[in-house]
Amino acid sequence: MAEVPTYRTPEVITPTRDFLDKMEEMWSDPPGIIGWLSTVDHKKIGRRYLVTAFLFLFVGGLEALIMRLQLAQPNEHMVGPHLYNQLFSMHGTTMIFLYALPILSGFSNFLWPLILGTRDMAFPRLNMFTYWTFLLAGAFMYIGFPTGQGTDVGWFNYVPLAGPMYNPGPGVDIFSLGMIFLGISTTAGAINFIATMFRTRAPGMSISRVPIMIWGTLVANIGILFAVPAVSLDFFLLWLDRRFGTDFFNVSGGGHPLLWQHLFWIFGHPWVYAIVLPAMSIVSQCLPVHCRRPLVANSAVILATILTMVLGFGVWVHHMFATGLPVIAMGFFSAASFVIVIPSAVSVFAWVATIWTGRPVFTTAFKFFAAEIILFVIGGVSGFMTAAVPLDWQLTDTYFVVAHIHYVLIGINVFPVIGGIYHWFPKFAGKMLNEKLGWWNFWLMFIGFNVGFFPMHISGLLGMPRRIYTYPAGLGWGDLNLVTTIGAFLFALGVLVFIVNVVVTLLTGKRAPANPWDGDTLEWSTSSPPPHYNFGVIPHVGSLHPLWEDRLEKSEGRTILHEGLKLDEEHEIPGTTILDAEADVILKMPGKSFAPLIMALLISGVFIGMLLEWWWISGAAMCAMFPALLYWFWPSAEVGRSPKESRA
Amino acid sequence: MSATSAEPRDLSRPLPIGSAGNLTPGWWGMVMLIATESAVFAYLFFSFYYLQSMADNVWPPSGKPPLPYALGTTGALFISVFTVWFASNGIRRGIKWRVWVGLPLTGLIGIAYVLLQLVDWSVEPFAFNSGAYSSLYYTITGFHLVHTIVGVLMIVAILLWTALGHVTSERCNSVRVVALYWYFLVVVWIGIMTTFYVLPYVTPR
Repeated sequence: MAEVPTYRTPEVITPTRDFLDKMEEMWSDPPGIIGWLSTVDHKKIGRRYLVTAFLFLFVGGLEALIMRLQLAQPNEHMVGPHLYNQLFSMHGTTMIFLYALPILSGFSNFLWPLILGTRDMAFPRLNMFTYWTFLLAGAFMYIGFPTGQGTDVGWFNYVPLAGPMYNPGPGVDIFSLGMIFLGISTTAGAINFIATMFRTRAPGMSISRVPIMIWGTLVANIGILFAVPAVSLDFFLLWLDRRFGTDFFNVSGGGHPLLWQHLFWIFGHPWVYAIVLPAMSIVSQCLPVHCRRPLVANSAVILATILTMVLGFGVWVHHMFATGLPVIAMGFFSAASFVIVIPSAVSVFAWVATIWTGRPVFTTAFKFFAAEIILFVIGGVSGFMTAAVPLDWQLTDTYFVVAHIHYVLIGINVFPVIGGIYHWFPKFAGKMLNEKLGWWNFWLMFIGFNVGFFPMHISGLLGMPRRIYTYPAGLGWGDLNLVTTIGAFLFALGVLVFIVNVVVTLLTGKRAPANPWDGDTLEWSTSSPPPHYNFGVIPHVGSLHPLWEDRLEKSEGRTILHEGLKLDEEHEIPGTTILDAEADVILKMPGKSFAPLIMALLISGVFIGMLLEWWWISGAAMCAMFPALLYWFWPSAEVGRSPKESRA
Repeated sequence: MSATSAEPRDLSRPLPIGSAGNLTPGWWGMVMLIATESAVFAYLFFSFYYLQSMADNVWPPSGKPPLPYALGTTGALFISVFTVWFASNGIRRGIKWRVWVGLPLTGLIGIAYVLLQLVDWSVEPFAFNSGAYSSLYYTITGFHLVHTIVGVLMIVAILLWTALGHVTSERCNSVRVVALYWYFLVVVWIGIMTTFYVLPYVTPR
């Protein structure tokens, strides 16, 4: 067996047509189902994330529409209380866990390597694993719903209602195990993003030249690393309470129901930032392109993003003001919740200043980003209001809070996401979305959203509690709810126009040029859609705006795109240093592999066994993980981990 | 800072291929795994101290826990810090026999720890579901037990790879990474030891 060389001096070349053809061949997957199941291509994974998360949005939206029909008038009985409870629980769970973060993972998976000027994520197989586990965990969380066994205690699943005494059915078990399952996917994804940021940026992309979208997602994923364990543990302890009679939340055994709420919200509030900071960074990245100037106060926005996440770990108790905590605790957390407004506002002022001092082009994408600013301000103010303890006591568990959460999550997540899809569709699919349909899409969604959700503030102030399946006439809520229902359907119509636009564009749209919006970052330097290898030679980055260097007055350096290191022996990318991004290693990336799918299926087996209490299934699946991981991590020369040529 | 001035041709210099240097992808992966697993244990300890602070009666309810087994496991784990370091440090200098001494010893200590812990469980006067303290005790020590079993399996895998010639001084990342994981296990154990065995003896309640 030959020894593999441990050092190489890569040449600097200008890629030729033949070279690029060879790269395309090397980086593409085999055709058919084999290629589909074993691919580790970050672009395919990103697209799958986008499509799957959008399907969950669609399902969660249908659940919402049924609820809105039910609430349109007093005393309606289209669905009974039991189904209604499942509808709002599944709606919340779906939107918050199966749509809001996965859709952002879709963007990041697809775009990160392109923006960072490289060819793949740091851990390609782990990347594929996160998608399979997300898909399987999502399916797992839905297995009870079609048969009327869905979880019915709301997405934050408070004990003792969710405990064994009041909720013996399988719904909460499915939800609990599903959340732990999904947590594996989310955590693995976070690890991958962080390693990618710190290890695989193009040479020259020093820490001050990292585009803002990377920062938003990075910060969110560092938060995820420390927040998700709280909720996974919380659900695991609940599952032990339910299935083994432990006493974590059981008062008679020395447990405490507030432990559930603490652990849940220690996760829950950072999670809010995990699902809005990347979306805000999509706005920070794209809005300036449509305003024809760099983002105002780029560094301040990055620092504010980091500060928001840090503070986000210290405000969880504001979800628990009504639980009878000591005044000193409430005072501290109320103050922290007020303080977090400051870094949040930095982004808003930066965006407004960018529009103000730029030359905005009123594309559909621009409209969505501009609308996000307005909705963020409204949602931010209603959040600021409930940071005050006395007001929160009045408003908690009313529709005011429902209005707030939807302004925040639809306003700062869905609007940037749709805008981002208009912006990056040339990269995702190689086509330009139709701007005429985009006009209808935007105005239907924007008007529908405000007509639907703004009145909820008022019905909340009038005392309408959340999570009621119907209400008597004569309370003055009927007209407001009718308006809300009409708005919700208008909003849904807008989403439908979006889907039509995507389908029509995929079928008949015109091909997109490489850089249709005249963007500034590296993803626009490759073709639309990008080739399998992303970049023929790895770019050498000279500034924060690689494609705008000619026109910006003070550009610190020059980015070199036409020539670079020849890295063409299987899947190779340069590894770079953390701060200066100097190339210090040639990383060998793994190619197609079934290991991620096998591991994801084995983990599904563990959870199915736990749910059915068929312990031998869980045990067998766990034992099988050892050979599966041995196969996954086998040190081969192909991935640069063995001195020997032999393969696994 | 050469990053501002470099031309691509300046980059053309000998570069190590694959998993090399200190900050390999595997090292990053392990550091972040440890970070997130540390958070799991931090939240477990949070749960413990939260429920302790809310407890009405004596804590621990069954009186001060017996020390002998815990002292045994602590001693064993402290020794394993040295054995795993011995292997990891050795292979970086190209001394392969130190892997063959250090890792099997570490693995055996890990197995001994698991057995001691199981004996400790069997002599405890309380069961998994006999109150909040016992639920916490079995869950926290159980989590650590499972993590240790995973560590032992990692050592088995690396010994297999070493036997097949995949581990050399240039390709020693797997040994370094497992050592890192093992240090994490011991640090968590210090937390467990302090929480369950030391504090009941030094606090008045």
